[in-house]
Amino acid sequence: MDARAARTILSVVRASMRIAGVERPTEVAFSFAGQELRAPVGESLAAALIVAGVRRLGEGPGSPRAAFCMMGTCQQCLLRVDGRLAQACITPVRAGMVVTEA
Amino acid sequence: MTHPYDVAVLGAGPAGMAAATEAARRGAKVVLLEESPAPGGQVYRAAPPGFVVPPDADRRAGDALRAALAASGAELRLGHRVWGLGGGPLVRQGEAPVPFRIDALPPDGEPVTLEARALVLCAGTHERIIPFPGWTLPGVIGLAAATILLKAQGVLPGRRVVVAGAGPLLYAVAAKLLKAGSEVAAIADLATRGEWARAMPALLARPDLLARGLAWRAALATNGVPVLQAHAVIAAEGVGAVERVRVQPISGGAAESFDCDALCIGHGLVPATEATRVFRAAHRYARESGGWVPVLDADRRVSVPLLYVAGDGGGVRGAAAAPAAGRLAALAALRDLGVLDGRAHARARRRPALEQWRAAQAGQAMARMMALRPALVDAIAPETVVCRCEGVTRAEIETALDDGATEMNQLKQFTRCGMGPCQGRLCGEAAAELVARRVGGRERAGFATGRLPLRPVPMEAVLGEFDYADIPVPAPAPL
Repeated sequence: MDARAARTILSVVRASMRIAGVERPTEVAFSFAGQELRAPVGESLAAALIVAGVRRLGEGPGSPRAAFCMMGTCQQCLLRVDGRLAQACITPVRAGMVVTEA
Repeated sequence: MTHPYDVAVLGAGPAGMAAATEAARRGAKVVLLEESPAPGGQVYRAAPPGFVVPPDADRRAGDALRAALAASGAELRLGHRVWGLGGGPLVRQGEAPVPFRIDALPPDGEPVTLEARALVLCAGTHERIIPFPGWTLPGVIGLAAATILLKAQGVLPGRRVVVAGAGPLLYAVAAKLLKAGSEVAAIADLATRGEWARAMPALLARPDLLARGLAWRAALATNGVPVLQAHAVIAAEGVGAVERVRVQPISGGAAESFDCDALCIGHGLVPATEATRVFRAAHRYARESGGWVPVLDADRRVSVPLLYVAGDGGGVRGAAAAPAAGRLAALAALRDLGVLDGRAHARARRRPALEQWRAAQAGQAMARMMALRPALVDAIAPETVVCRCEGVTRAEIETALDDGATEMNQLKQFTRCGMGPCQGRLCGEAAAELVARRVGGRERAGFATGRLPLRPVPMEAVLGEFDYADIPVPAPAPL
C-alpha cells in the first residue's frame, strides 16, 4: 500500500470519531507541533486533537497531560496557541493557528 | 468608569440565563458574563457557531432559555473570563457603599472592569474525580467532559469506552455513546441497586426525567452492555494512553478487566464556591449537596448583602431546578435594591419558589447518589498522584499531615497541593477528605481561602495600563 492510500484510509478511520449527522463548517488547516492538521473552523482545539489521534498534550510533574475536563477548569490541556498559553478545550480552531506544547 | 449596572450575573447556565432574564424584564440594567462562547452552561451547552447538532430535549430547553434571554434586554458578554471580584456594600468609601467590582478578560484580550450594585453568582459545579492508579493516562476523561464532546462538539471520546462513577450522568453518557456509534465496553456504577430503588419515589416528581432515564437503561440492555452495580474502577492501564480498565465490586472480590480506548469517569459534582469564598461569605459543609456550599436563605441571599447564588453552585439540585432559583435570586436582588416593593416581590416569587421546590426533589435524590463516597478516598494508593498540577502524591499529603498540617491552607503551604493552575478545583475534594480523616471531619479540614485571580490570566490582565509615576507612594514617616 502506498503512503497516500494509507493516509486516505487513516483519514476515513479518523473521520468516524466525528459523529455522523452533525453539520459542520468548512475545514481549515492549522498546525500542532509542526504537523499540519485540519478541523472544522470553530471546533474546540481539544476535540480536533482527539480526532487527529493526539492524546498526550504535554508532560506534567509525574504524569502526562491530556484534555480531561473539557470545560476550562482543570488546565490539563494547556498549549501554546500563536505563542500564548491557552486551554485547548475552550480554544476554537482557526485557520492557520500555530499550536505547540506549552 | 461607566455607570454601574443594577445587577451583574456571573455564569450563563440555566440559573444565570433565567436570573438575567427576570431582572432585565423588570427594567433593571443587567449584565450577564460567561466564559464560554455561547450561553447554555453544561447541560444546555450550545454547539459552536456554524455547527448544527440534531436537537434533543436538553437542546430545546436550552434554546427556550436562550430565546427568553435574547428578548429580555440583558447585556450578554460572552467569552469573558472573570478573574477578579471585589467591592460591594461591606466596603465603604466615606459614607457611600461601593458597588461590586468585576474584573474580566474578554476574548480580545483587553481587560475590562464593570461595576454592579447587586451580584448574582451562577458558577455551577465542577466534577469530582477521586484519584486511582492510571487516572492521569491520556484517554481518561470526566463524565461531564464526555457529554461536552458528544453533545456540543459531536466528537467521540473513544471507539470502545468504559463509563464509570456515580449518578445519572453515567447512563446519559453511555446511551449517548451508543447512539453516536461507540461501543460501550462496560458501565461500572458505584451505586447499588438498592440506592437506585430508594431514589425512585423522588424521581416520580419529574416523570419526564424518569422516562428518559429508563429509556437510557433500555438502550443499554438492548445493546448487551454489561452494567456492573456497586463496582469501582481500581486502575486504568496502558502504555502512553488507556488500553484497559480494571473494575472490582466495592465489597471486594475478583476484579474484571475491560479493553478500551477511553474511560469516562466521574464521582459526582462539587459546587463552585470560589466567588463566595473570596467575599468571605458564610459556608457550610453539606455532603449530600456536593460539598461546601454558601449559607443561603429561601430567596438565595448569601450572608453578604446584595450577593446571591443560584443554581448548582449553591448546592447540587440539577439543571431542571436552576432557572427557578435564578428567578428567585433576581427577584430578591430587585427587592433589596428597592425596585420591587414587598408586596410585588411576595407575589412574583410564589411561582418560582414552588417550581424550585418541585424540581429540587428529583435533583436532591440524584445529588445524594453523586455525594462523595469515602471508600474511594480510603482506596487511594500512597504513590497515586492526587494533585496533578504540582505532582503531589497521597504519601506526600500524609507526610505533611504527620508533620503537623491541620487544615487545607496548611496542606497547601506544606505541599503545594492545590497551588497549581487548576487552583485546587481538581484535587481539592480528595485532598480535603485526606485532611478530614486526620482532624475529624470536613468542617475542621476547612477549605482553601478564596484568592484572586479566580482563574489563571496573563499578568497584563492583572496589571492593566499603569504608569509608575501614578502609583501613590506614602510620605516617609517623620524622623
